[in-house]
This record gives sequence, C-alpha cells and structure tokens, in this order.
Amino acid sequence: MSELQAVDANISTAAPADDLEAPPKSLWRQLEPTVLGVGSIVALLALWEALPYLVTFAPGTKLFFTTPSQIAGTLWTMFATGTIWAPLSVSASGFALGLGLAIVVGLPLGVLIGRSPTLNAMLDPFITAFNATPRLVFLPLVLLWFGLGLWSKVVIVFIGALFPLLINTYEGVRNSDKLLINVVRSFGAKEWDIARLVVVPNAMPYIVAGLRLAIGRAVLGVVVAEFFGSEDGLGVMMVQAAGQYKVAVVFAGLIVFAGLSLVMTGLVQLLEQRLTRWRPQHAAEY
Amino acid sequence: MPAYIQGRNVNLTFRPPNRGPVRALYGFDIDVNEGEFLSIVGPSGCGKSTFLNVLLGLIRPDSGDLRMHGKPIAGPGTDRAMVFQEFGLLPWRSVQHNIELGLELKGVPTETRHNVSQHFIEMVGLSGFEGHFPHELSGGMKQRVGLARALATDPDVLLMDEPFAALDAQTRDLMQVELLRIWQEARKTVLFVTHQIDEAIYLSDRVMVMTKRPGHAKKIFPIELPRPRDYEMRVTPEFNDLKLEIWHALKDEITI
Repeated sequence: MSELQAVDANISTAAPADDLEAPPKSLWRQLEPTVLGVGSIVALLALWEALPYLVTFAPGTKLFFTTPSQIAGTLWTMFATGTIWAPLSVSASGFALGLGLAIVVGLPLGVLIGRSPTLNAMLDPFITAFNATPRLVFLPLVLLWFGLGLWSKVVIVFIGALFPLLINTYEGVRNSDKLLINVVRSFGAKEWDIARLVVVPNAMPYIVAGLRLAIGRAVLGVVVAEFFGSEDGLGVMMVQAAGQYKVAVVFAGLIVFAGLSLVMTGLVQLLEQRLTRWRPQHAAEY
Repeated sequence: MPAYIQGRNVNLTFRPPNRGPVRALYGFDIDVNEGEFLSIVGPSGCGKSTFLNVLLGLIRPDSGDLRMHGKPIAGPGTDRAMVFQEFGLLPWRSVQHNIELGLELKGVPTETRHNVSQHFIEMVGLSGFEGHFPHELSGGMKQRVGLARALATDPDVLLMDEPFAALDAQTRDLMQVELLRIWQEARKTVLFVTHQIDEAIYLSDRVMVMTKRPGHAKKIFPIELPRPRDYEMRVTPEFNDLKLEIWHALKDEITI
C-alpha cells in the first residue's frame, strides 16, 4: 500500500460553541441615541420657554420675542379655525405645479441630452449658463411677465427645481453601464428600450438625489416669490405678520414651511426605498 | 456547401480618440459547423472577444464577409445569443425577469414568457431562486442566469465570451460539466472563447488557436475524445497530448 494514501481528517469531535446569537445589548445602549436626540430638543425648548423668567429684556425688545408655547398656541389656532388653509394651499399649489413641471421637463430632457451627443452639444451652453446664474436674478423679469399671481411663483419654482433634476439625470445617464447596454442591444433593443431597461433604472440613484435637491430649491422658490412678489401664500402671511410684530405668526409660518420640506423629503426617501429594493442591503443603510 | 457560420477575410480596426488605431481582426477566416462546439483560444487582446461581438452584430467589421445560414450578419438577431464574461445581469431585475429579458424584447406574451423562464430556471438548477436579485447570488449562480437568459430566446448559436473566467477554479470545473449537460440537452451550435486550454479541450469538438493581434486563425485542432466526457478524462494521456500540442501552437503568440 502506498504511503501517499489520503487520510480522512479527524481532528476534533467536540461540537463548536454555538455563537450565532449576538450578545444582547443592554436597554440603555439600545435607547441611547433616541434619548439623547429627543432630550436635547426638549432641553432647548425648555430653555427658550424659561428665557423670559431668566433674563430681563431691555425696554421695547419684548416685542421681538416669543416663546414655544405661544408659537404652538398660534399654530393650534390657525389649524383649528382654518385660517392657515388659504395661504397654505396657495403656497402648496405653487410648489407642486412648479416641481411637477420641473420633473416632467427635467427627466426626459436629461435622458435625451445624456444619450444624444448632438442635443448635448446644442443645449449644453444654455444649461451651463443658466445653472451658473443665481435664480433670483430672474425674479424681476418673471414678475413683470407673469404678474403677482400663481404663475410667477410656478415659474420661479420651476427654474429652481429644473436644473438639479436635469443635471443629475444627465450625469446618471452618462454613467450607464456600457456592458448592460450591449446586453440589451444584443437582444434586439432599440434606443427606447435601452432607455427604459438600462439607462433610467441605472440613473435612478442620481435622479432621486436630484429630486431631493430640487425639493429644497422648490421650497426656496416659493418663499422667495412670496416674500418679494405675491399677494397670497404662507410667505406673504409671514412678511405681513413681521410688519405687525406678530413674531409667533412668523415662527408658525416657518414651522409650516419646515414641515412641508420634511414631509416631501420623507416621501422621497420612501420612493427611494421602493425603487432601490434590488440593491445590496448595506448600500441602502447609510 | 458553405459552412453554417462562415467568415472570410474579416477585418476590423479600432480607432479610439486620442490614440493610434488598433487592428483587432486581420484577414480573419472561420467556418463553424451546425451543432458543433468550437472553442477559440488565443493570447490576451488577440481579438477573439471582438470577433464574438462582430458575430453577435454589436460591432460592424470594416470589411470582409461574415454569414450565418448563408445570410450576411447585419445586426443583432434572435438566432444568436451571448453569455457575457461579467454576466451582464440587470441588477434591478430578479432572476426570473433577467431570464425573460430577451423574450420581453421579442414581444412574447407574459404567460409564455413565464413558462419558458421556468423551464430554463429548472434546466440550470436555479429553482427556488426566481425572485432573487443578482447581488444575492454567487458568481456561479449569476452565470447560470446568464446562460438561461441566452437559451431562453431559443437561439441557433450560443456565443460564450470567457463565461467562466470570473469564477473560482472549483466552480468553473462544475460549470463546465453543467454546460456540457445543457449543451447535450439543448443542442446548440456553440462558439466558446477562453484563455484556458483545458477548458477548451474538455468542452469542444474543435479548438481554434488564434495569432496575436491583429488576430486570425493560426491552427485548428479537432478534439476526437469520446462523449459524454467526464472529469476523469482530463488526466488521460490523450488529453494531455492535445494540451501540449495546443500549448505549443499558442505559446509563440504570447508576449508578456
């Protein structure tokens, strides 16, 4: 018999320790981030509320001051009596129409210029020039052309939201995986199929990032348009309230704007989760 | 009678911007018989993958004549399908929907599509993974999806561009066995590009050795080993003789 005969490995018969279960985390370790986060907000609000009792205001300056409880009360009254709805709906429709138009125009245009060198060469100078210009510069012209009503606001929001969407979509499209395009072409895909099956899904993370930027710009557009050239809306309400030293109302408007932005950002996050279920888990957990 | 796939004097030069032109194929001739398994081996960059892309219809050659069924290759067509080296799976599509890609583009109705994909999912041994996404699969499983996707459109010719190069050695050995089983079952003409002489001999009816760039056929080796072939065949003297012969034809073409 050969000395090179294989021998079955038989080193240890003892079962290894069952260490699949992670050691339990203590309750405090689990709750710590939440407690600290909520705690710091509560502490700040409490300090703010207590401020009038802690310091003495110079004569006349109390006019410029308000407390969280007063703001909360004002907000409550506005919602309870319904006075918030008219300005809110004016602002919201300007926001929604402008952003909607920017999506409808920005996404297809971004895909087109990303895929067509000809269109890219034709439109790139305009896009670069427009994007480099601060959007507020257009405000006087827009007000002159579209008046003080809804449409000037829509246009300002549109101009603000269009470019992040357009440019991000373009970047995403340019970063398409050449191999995947060849794969679908090999199965007989035409340009429309390539866009539908590869280019757009591939650009989706860029598009969602663009959408997030666009929402910020759109809210900014609403605020600016209403501060400087509107007859209705939350921004108008805030400017008028500030003129009458109703500080709590100004803060209430601010909170509603912040809430609007938060809700929209949350919606985008939901959309992102839905659209990117195919991605590796760790990539989604940032 | 002309061969099933016939290439005569196919020439292709790449002209990348900012760099000098690169001759990829130069006077390339090939004859492939119907139902045969032909492997192409050659040094890196010799144009063997490029030729598959030309045959697939993704790249148009500068000159020469390339026909299948006697008809010139004018573009992609459902009579040819490729298995790609880097798998080329759409990461946002499940296993099933990746396999159905070609059928979808052909306009096959949903129910038929589903039956076909189910058949090939079973054939490549991926039952139970229909709903998985590519990132959840191992390399071997990904390439099974790639193979099933190529087979699903029922092409006459299967083009395989170093399909197992991205896999580890053991998985590669198993995939070769699997491929032979599937080939026996599906009876396709296969053009298989590889770096590995072993792999080429084990799988093929004929092995074509290409010259270095600009590539053309140097020598063709008929592999007359009996089928069905098994793993043990790789250590027989006949196998090793072939390996040596092909190595000698290949080694002069390789520059490090």
